[in-house]
Amino acid sequence: MATLATTLNEKQQSKKRQEAPAARAFRATPFTYGTLLIVAAVLTAPLVFVGSIALSSDATVNSGSFTVIPREFHWDNFSRVFGTELPVGTFLLNSVLISLFSVAGQVLSSGLVGYAFARLRAPGKNTMFLIVIATMMIPTQITMIPQFILFRDLGWVNTFLPLIVPNFFSNAFNVFLVRQFVSRLPSQLDEAAMMDGLGFFGIYRRIMFPMLRPVLIAIGIFTLTHTWGDFMGPLIYLNDESKMPLALGVQYITATSQAGQAPPWNLVMVGSILLALPMILVYYIGQKYLYEMDISGGSAGVK
Amino acid sequence: MATSTAPKAAPAAAEKPASPKPGKQKLSKRRRREALSFYLFISPWIIGFLVFLLGPMIASIYYSLTDWDSFTPPQWVGFDNYVKLLTDDPVFWKALWNTLFYAAISVPLGLVLGLWLANLLNKQVRARKLFRTLIYLPTLIPLVATAMIFRMVLAPNGPINDFLGLFGVSGPNWLYDGPWVKPALILMSTWGAGAATVLLLAAMKGIPRELYEAAEVDGASAMRQFWSITLPHLTPIIFFNLIMGLIGAFQVFSQVYILVSKAKNPAGYDAAQTMVPFLFDQAFSYYHMGYASAISWLLFLVILVFTVIAFRTTRRWVFYETEVK
Repeated sequence: MATLATTLNEKQQSKKRQEAPAARAFRATPFTYGTLLIVAAVLTAPLVFVGSIALSSDATVNSGSFTVIPREFHWDNFSRVFGTELPVGTFLLNSVLISLFSVAGQVLSSGLVGYAFARLRAPGKNTMFLIVIATMMIPTQITMIPQFILFRDLGWVNTFLPLIVPNFFSNAFNVFLVRQFVSRLPSQLDEAAMMDGLGFFGIYRRIMFPMLRPVLIAIGIFTLTHTWGDFMGPLIYLNDESKMPLALGVQYITATSQAGQAPPWNLVMVGSILLALPMILVYYIGQKYLYEMDISGGSAGVK
Repeated sequence: MATSTAPKAAPAAAEKPASPKPGKQKLSKRRRREALSFYLFISPWIIGFLVFLLGPMIASIYYSLTDWDSFTPPQWVGFDNYVKLLTDDPVFWKALWNTLFYAAISVPLGLVLGLWLANLLNKQVRARKLFRTLIYLPTLIPLVATAMIFRMVLAPNGPINDFLGLFGVSGPNWLYDGPWVKPALILMSTWGAGAATVLLLAAMKGIPRELYEAAEVDGASAMRQFWSITLPHLTPIIFFNLIMGLIGAFQVFSQVYILVSKAKNPAGYDAAQTMVPFLFDQAFSYYHMGYASAISWLLFLVILVFTVIAFRTTRRWVFYETEVK
């Protein structure tokens, strides 16, 4: 309801904007357009270049004579990477598996923890929440080595477990997001549910979980973005080529190419495109949830 | 911004004071059950905190005071690792200097570019959505792919040097030519300036238009309106970007690790070595686990010092609307 009202409001405002003569700060001059066009071209050029490399023949790769605008179109490069030539298909599958479990872990655990911090009363809660906030400041490098030792002693090195399991224990930033989101929902909802005899878990599962959809989707997007592009984690824990996710695999191919021989840049760039595309897609689909979650403003702050 | 969130923020303010007590005994029982549920609900966080954060932090402090290859028992050495790092390891100071240099240039540069682009997009331009998307697109590309892309873009016969060639300038071998590696990494980071643009643009839209109209009546130029109205209103979000940017820059890893490997690119490796790749190599290439743990704490200290300095200066330049009211 609220969002509908806001969009209507915004629409009216933008209408008003068009009618009234714009303040000087908002006038677009030919200079504005010129600058925007140049900036957009410069920022897009590397992506066009990637496409051009991805579509070039092996001969072009060996001579290294790439052009920004594609001259040749070897679309079969996109199917070649799924063949036996390079295990990019395996990399992709590994990325999908690791990301899916990580996202599930964060969504399940952060939602539950964030809800409890927002709604349930218990002694020591405020202290605990302060600790949650404080942990956000600790750089991951501090815990990197002891965690490696821990997972090595558990025999988890060269498995997906070190990359997935920590996600099932929630993340401070996500907990904070959920807590802020829940504290803006009317508490009469849970009270009514309690009257109807629901326990706390019932309230969470039946009432809260569905209402938390925007924030949980946002958490899913953040987790996916992080896991999908993560390079250091897989670099530490995975040795076998067959277990690498795409982010590590793409790098691995270029790092291990024979001395004096150019890496198969066309196939590497196909891998890079496969690495980038899901993120672009997720952003495209997910942005409305990110805005719906409304991270930027109106947060109740740390109380 | 404030106006758009008002309808949603309202219910939070209506939080009720504790309901009238219906008999003390019953309440305390309910309270106890609620507290129990609370601890049950947050148990994933408690376990995660103990196992993946507090435990490792304590272990890390201990390791940093030992000489340890992770295979044989650790040898207690007291503060030797720290002393050696600070007094007897030129690579540490090199990495620290490179990291500070990278942060000092890439973070402000990204902010200024982001601000400039946001201001352009905040005008009444046609196809604004398209421009916004194109500017934001690079920030969606995972770092590994970005590094791969820039390795080709910055190649001796790559597009950047081709472009420079148009002006008769013969470009350097960016990633392999010592002095040019840092500029190359900074150039790569500014490609992602669009991340700041989106936040800044959103904040710009929240600035009341009446302010600009009033300024217009007073005859203020567009430039003047930017400096006197837009910029002061954006300082909180600029500050947020500054802090996040600094923390991110201090932890730069993937780009450096991928683009300048010790084996294939010694000159570049030397010129661009930053803190986290240095730490990573010590830990996972040489198995100097104690030494690497000490580096991680020094890194934390550096980040902490700069964050505190940034926070300390906020009163001078960050403008919060609530202060005026």
